[in-house]
Amino acid sequence: MSDRSDGGMSLLEFHVLLALANGPLYGYAIRDAVAAESDGSLTPRAGSLYRVIARMMTWGLVSEAEPAEPLSPHPGLARKYYGLTAEGRSALAAEARRQKSAAALAEERLGAVGRS
Amino acid sequence: MKTIMGLLIRLFPSGFRAQFGRDLVEHVRDEHDRAWSRGPLRGLWYSIATALDLVRSAIAERLEPAWVAGGPDTSESEGVGWLMSGWTKDIRHAMRALRRTPGFTAVSIATLGLAIGANAGIFSVVDTVLLDPLPYPDADRLVYIAATAPGSDLPEEFGVSAEFFVQYSEQSTMLEDVALTNSFTSTLRADERVERVWMSSPTASLFSTLGVKPILGRLPVDEDESRVAVISHALWTTWFGSDFGVIGRSYYMSGADREIIGVMGPDFRYPVEGTLLWFPTPVRAERIVPGRFGAPMVGRLAPGATLEGLTAELHTLAQRLPERFGGSAAYARLIERHRPIVRPLRDEVLGDISGPLWVLLGSVGIVLLIACANVANLFMVRGEQRQRDLAIRRAIGAGRGQLFRSQMAESLVVALFAGALAVVLARASVPAFLRAAPPNVPRLGDVSMTVPTLLFTLGVCLLSALLCGLIPAIRASSPNVAGLRDGSRGSTRRRHWGRDGLVIAQTALALVLLIGSGLLIRSFQQLRSVDPGYDTADIFTFQIAPERASLNDAQSFAAFHMDFMDRLAALPGVESVGLVENVPLDEGTSSGRFATEEEPDIESGALLSYTWAGGDYFGTMSIQVLTGRAFTQADHISDLGNVVISKSAADMLWPGENPIGRRLRPQGAEAWETVVGVVEDVMQNGFRDSPQALVYFPLVGQSPGARIVSSPAYVMRTGRAENIAPEVRALVSEVAPEAPMYRVYTMAGLAAASMVQLSFTMLALGITSVLALILGTVGLYGVLSYVVAERTREIGVRMALGAEAKSVQRMVVGQGIRVVIIGVVIGVLVARASTRALSSLLFGVEAADLATFVGMSGAMLLVGLLASYVPARRASSVDPIESLRE
Repeated sequence: MSDRSDGGMSLLEFHVLLALANGPLYGYAIRDAVAAESDGSLTPRAGSLYRVIARMMTWGLVSEAEPAEPLSPHPGLARKYYGLTAEGRSALAAEARRQKSAAALAEERLGAVGRS
Repeated sequence: MKTIMGLLIRLFPSGFRAQFGRDLVEHVRDEHDRAWSRGPLRGLWYSIATALDLVRSAIAERLEPAWVAGGPDTSESEGVGWLMSGWTKDIRHAMRALRRTPGFTAVSIATLGLAIGANAGIFSVVDTVLLDPLPYPDADRLVYIAATAPGSDLPEEFGVSAEFFVQYSEQSTMLEDVALTNSFTSTLRADERVERVWMSSPTASLFSTLGVKPILGRLPVDEDESRVAVISHALWTTWFGSDFGVIGRSYYMSGADREIIGVMGPDFRYPVEGTLLWFPTPVRAERIVPGRFGAPMVGRLAPGATLEGLTAELHTLAQRLPERFGGSAAYARLIERHRPIVRPLRDEVLGDISGPLWVLLGSVGIVLLIACANVANLFMVRGEQRQRDLAIRRAIGAGRGQLFRSQMAESLVVALFAGALAVVLARASVPAFLRAAPPNVPRLGDVSMTVPTLLFTLGVCLLSALLCGLIPAIRASSPNVAGLRDGSRGSTRRRHWGRDGLVIAQTALALVLLIGSGLLIRSFQQLRSVDPGYDTADIFTFQIAPERASLNDAQSFAAFHMDFMDRLAALPGVESVGLVENVPLDEGTSSGRFATEEEPDIESGALLSYTWAGGDYFGTMSIQVLTGRAFTQADHISDLGNVVISKSAADMLWPGENPIGRRLRPQGAEAWETVVGVVEDVMQNGFRDSPQALVYFPLVGQSPGARIVSSPAYVMRTGRAENIAPEVRALVSEVAPEAPMYRVYTMAGLAAASMVQLSFTMLALGITSVLALILGTVGLYGVLSYVVAERTREIGVRMALGAEAKSVQRMVVGQGIRVVIIGVVIGVLVARASTRALSSLLFGVEAADLATFVGMSGAMLLVGLLASYVPARRASSVDPIESLRE
């Protein structure tokens, strides 16, 4: 598990895990998925993205994987695919739960204010 | 573009690149294509942003790796606070490691401490004296104004006269304020205390020009005329015990009673450091006689004015002076040639001290570099000894950054402790050092450990830590696991190059300092061997200022002096006594124009210096009489009108002819003087001076209005010059109890004082060069010893195979000498380029003096030979069996 002093994973890390939850992807596809799924608010540059992937791998949340479907031929050399590990899935789930309860609390408070 | 990205990707650590490198390249390529396909603007934006991100990520990855093969390293994942907490851990480890090797730690701290201390000490002097010499508001706007008249016979630079002051102060738009100043010694009498002290009688505008206010009382205004005075803080505390009641009391100062109206603050010491009081000189435009040059002027620039603009304006204003104030035709000619000299006041006040101080700062900087080289060597040796430790740490996963940081932490700890030691050393030794410094250096008494000095010391510590620790730290963090296997026995070429380079640098730098001091030593010897025209050994000199009702004209004073000199001559051990108005090496002579019968126009007469001499002056000072005779008794007690002139004067007035019997007339006098003797020239102002054309008047002058010789300098030739003062004092209090005794010197002391700028720099540079030589020698010795220890096995094998002791010795010495020779060559080249910095101090010796260069280089080679010898002996005494057993 991560051991961060600020107590949680960053938004980018969450979205990388999220993007991989559907199956292994290669780097560029991860970037596109993250951009799409964060409504365009996260557009990581190459260096930052790969460091996040590296950190996830160090923590054991992500590992190299085989692509789920046969490759559609793309230009360039064979790329590495990255996929979630079992720990990665639980970490993603735990974070999603945490965010969900925080979001619920926010709605409750805002709703209460709006009503009065 | 893509190649640039490729290069930037190479900034990442090798482990990261191994895993992600290819993907990164492809990723960037795809993004690049996509961005550029949308237009050049998009593409450029993408390229810049991505490049920046790559650099940032690479640095971040190096400092705190996100990718660690084999699992997370918990000591690295401390979040954003790693910068602080990582360092504290490293420093704690470093202190523990250093404590385990106390010898190394002590030597390193001591070496650096001495070097940093020297730097801190000199910097504290530079900071106070050079960078902040004027304690006045807006001191950069203050200027010193003098004059020059090329093509006339006046000196290259001379002080102006009162009409300049009136003209400038009334009509200059670029000068906000201006004042005439002067400086002289005169009698101060307060209650029972009588002394001859330094005073100044400037125009009252001096205080407003400088922008100073008194701490007590008020400043003089024009209405006060000369009846009032302002005293210095030093005078107030030492003479009056800080008594507030001193305001309003009158005391006798320089010939008149004046009322004290104010006390100045402790920082105000203008124009010379020892000035104790100021009384104003009013200037009346209608009473000015133009052409009485000699007064320095200080002014404050108006806002927006520049030095060039001011110089031009003053030039124009000065041209109108004859029109306004009259004066002779010669004066008008002089004004035509006149050009104002304007320079910042700080340059004037600093005078000759800035050169030596910068030289000193440079030389202690060099010593610091040498010390750092030594300590860096020690760190490298220590690092090599811990190769096993480091290799093991690397093998179990310690990051390169971590190891780098831990090495740097050690050098930082050493440097900081050395810095603390340095501050203590500097504080203790700077006062002693300053006592040998030239007198009259502004603010020398104010030197202390200022905040800028402490900041400077901290900066130097950090720099030293960097210099000492960088190479060892890089070495420590380089992945050389092979060293583990080898048992650290192999000697890589890279390692030797680093160490040799340091020794070469040390040798070169030490040689530069040695050559510098050698040049100064030779200059000093040359200066001391100059014949100034008089003796300086065994001569005692002093002045008194007798005052009583019976002393009121030239005759009475002459009689007093003759009588007093007889009594001085009667003291035991005294061979002869004389007197002179301006004693060489202490006071300057006056100068004026003289007409001769051949050149009767006084306005274009020769400009000669003049003074008064009496008793057996020439004999006492061993000034040779070349033709004619010296003064006799008769010359001094009646107005016969005889004078003695110096050889240069004779050559100037009557070249190639016999001057005896010729007549000359000083400006302002009506009667003619007759030359009765010619003496050899003397150097009045120091041994670098050129001989003066000098006229000696006797004690009783001819014309009415001739100067009365009231307080000359007595000179006594005696073997007891060093300790005759108390007897003389006793005699003075018997003969003239009201007269203060001052300017008490031996001529030998004055001679030494005149050379103090050179001798002080020579001493300081000599000390630093010896220090550098010692450090360099120790460095060379250490390196060679280590090399021998390293190669013990190899030597043992050689000797076992039949090599003679001599050949082993030659091998070691050869290694040492090779390094020293390279260092000497580099040192000679650097010295050649840099000794120019000393040229203002050198005398009789060129900056590229061959003998000094060759001599010092030879000495350096010799020292190198000696330093190599001991390790060589040790090498050849290696027992082959022992060495192979290791």
